[in-house]
Amino acid sequence: MTVPLLEIKNLHAAVADKEIIKGLNLTINKGEVHAIMGPNGAGKSSLSYVLSGKNGYNVTKGSVSFSGEDLLSLSTEERAQKGLFLSMQYPTEIPGVVVTNFLKQSVNAIRKAHKEPELDSLEFLKILKSEATKLNISQEMLKRFVNVGFSGGEKKRFETLQIALLKPSFCILDEIDSGLDVDAQKIVSEGINQLRNKDNSFLIITHHEKLLSDIVPDFVHIFADGKILKSGDKTLAHIVETNGYTQFLKEE
Amino acid sequence: MDSPLVKDITLFLDDKPSVYALRQKAKNALLATGFPTPKTEAWKYTNVKDLLNTPLEINTDSEVCDGDCCQHHQTEPFIEITFCQGKLHIEEYNTPKGLIITPLPVALYENEYKNYLFNSFDLEKHPFAALNGMYLEQGICICVEKGSHISEPIHINYHQHNCNNQQIHIHNLIIAERDCCLEVLETYNGDTSFPYLTNVVNEIYLKENATLTHYKIQKEAETAFHIALNAVKQQKNSQYKQFYLSNGAKLSRQETLINLDQEDAKAEIYSAYTAKKECITDITTNINHLKPNTYSNQYAKAVLEDSSVACFQGKIHIAPNAIKTSGHQLHKALYLNDNATLNCKPELEIYADDVKCSHGASCGEIDKEQLFYLTSRGIDKNIATKMLIDAHLEEIFALISNEEIKTLFCRK
Repeated sequence: MTVPLLEIKNLHAAVADKEIIKGLNLTINKGEVHAIMGPNGAGKSSLSYVLSGKNGYNVTKGSVSFSGEDLLSLSTEERAQKGLFLSMQYPTEIPGVVVTNFLKQSVNAIRKAHKEPELDSLEFLKILKSEATKLNISQEMLKRFVNVGFSGGEKKRFETLQIALLKPSFCILDEIDSGLDVDAQKIVSEGINQLRNKDNSFLIITHHEKLLSDIVPDFVHIFADGKILKSGDKTLAHIVETNGYTQFLKEE
Repeated sequence: MDSPLVKDITLFLDDKPSVYALRQKAKNALLATGFPTPKTEAWKYTNVKDLLNTPLEINTDSEVCDGDCCQHHQTEPFIEITFCQGKLHIEEYNTPKGLIITPLPVALYENEYKNYLFNSFDLEKHPFAALNGMYLEQGICICVEKGSHISEPIHINYHQHNCNNQQIHIHNLIIAERDCCLEVLETYNGDTSFPYLTNVVNEIYLKENATLTHYKIQKEAETAFHIALNAVKQQKNSQYKQFYLSNGAKLSRQETLINLDQEDAKAEIYSAYTAKKECITDITTNINHLKPNTYSNQYAKAVLEDSSVACFQGKIHIAPNAIKTSGHQLHKALYLNDNATLNCKPELEIYADDVKCSHGASCGEIDKEQLFYLTSRGIDKNIATKMLIDAHLEEIFALISNEEIKTLFCRK
């Protein structure tokens, strides 16, 4: 039997003593795309921070294994080096850190962890240029400070560029459609779809069914009050779109 | 004067009455005012007691080093002027048309620059500049002729490697005639475990429409005292832009005095500094807006570690008739622990209506969201922290348009 890529068992987590994840179970296998849908304040983004190991998000109970390894014992950077990537709903602006330098540091940190030789500037810039072009990211944008002055669309395209460069085995896409117009969403969705393959998996966090018609998931989970209330296939997303979340909350 | 810094010695050209008179004038000013104490307002946060009690000698040997001790391989396209242990290397300067470089002793002998000495500041208000004047001998005069654009930066390289237990006083003149343009870079490098004092005065005169970009990288030894005064007088529509990086010395004070003497004169001061261990870093500015439509802007960024103490005091004075002027200052500090101290003292003296002035200060720690973003991309926490520290200062370096010089600043 193959080991699941991600296996979350009875996960409980708290922020400043307030419990936000209350007994979550979820298994994601290699190559699968899962979507988590849920109302505002359900704890969807908190789940992504717990999985990334952000300070202040404390696991109080349960376990998470990643490729069979205890994910929770690893630091944020170690999780990233093992292949976990979180595309944030609101990517952080970092004045003073130039995009190209940041990407090079990041790519080489991950290569180093995989015992691959680090790329020199020339090799790196060649790869960067080719990936950036695919996502319609200008050379000028690569010279700017990380996320500073980026439009909503530029921020999400930049997150997608990072996925293309870092090649993570597991991506959490937290509201990757927020702040995007139709055209920008199309570029991002196409970018993600091109990166989908039998070896990597995605966890898509969204409010809207629309995104899931562009990036079609294998499984959909309804998430509210810190746990999964119902799981199904992509048709579940259509039910949410038509009837809202209330029915699931009542069923509970 | 009961400080071992004040000595009764005979200097080169003491037999020349005009030079002797200048030195006496400075000495008398120092005797009249004395060295600053913690009660002296301008020195409230920077205690120089330790410096005043350190026995430091003056090297009266006119013999400069043989040049071997400070051989370096210059790769940047700069016009080089070197001081080794406070003594000017006399060499043939390969200067472009319009640029005249004269060693100070030569200038003193010829009386040529007499009107420019001690003319940009008040000896009685600057005790260390007065001390410097007492020992007036070493220095360089840079003069750019009318309308000349000097494309290569002039690099004044201070090699302080063997200045053990010495006090070094250097007095430079920079005179930029009408419509000229130049860049001057000063670098100070020291490496010793003994104390020494570097005391530099730059008197800078910018005539109408002249533009000077003045860069300074201070990396003195950790045992050094570094005191510097840039005194600038600006005529109509002249522009002075200063970039200062401080990353050394046990005690350093960079004071900039600017007189915007005529309309449309513009001055900008950008400072970046890192302070470690128990070092004291002082940035003091005095900007006098004396005529209408003058502009000044000051922006400083600091990284404070360990038990370091920093002081940023900036005075903006706007004279009664100086309407439509604009004077701004801002200081942002990044604390890496709880023991560092920052004293920020803005002083605005506004005697005119219809002016724009602002001041501000902020301080904070490494941003946790930014650190999370970087580490969540696989970058080790230590490297990510260093990237964020560099990023804090990068905002200042990003304003440097000369790429070669920017690289020197980024290298720190």
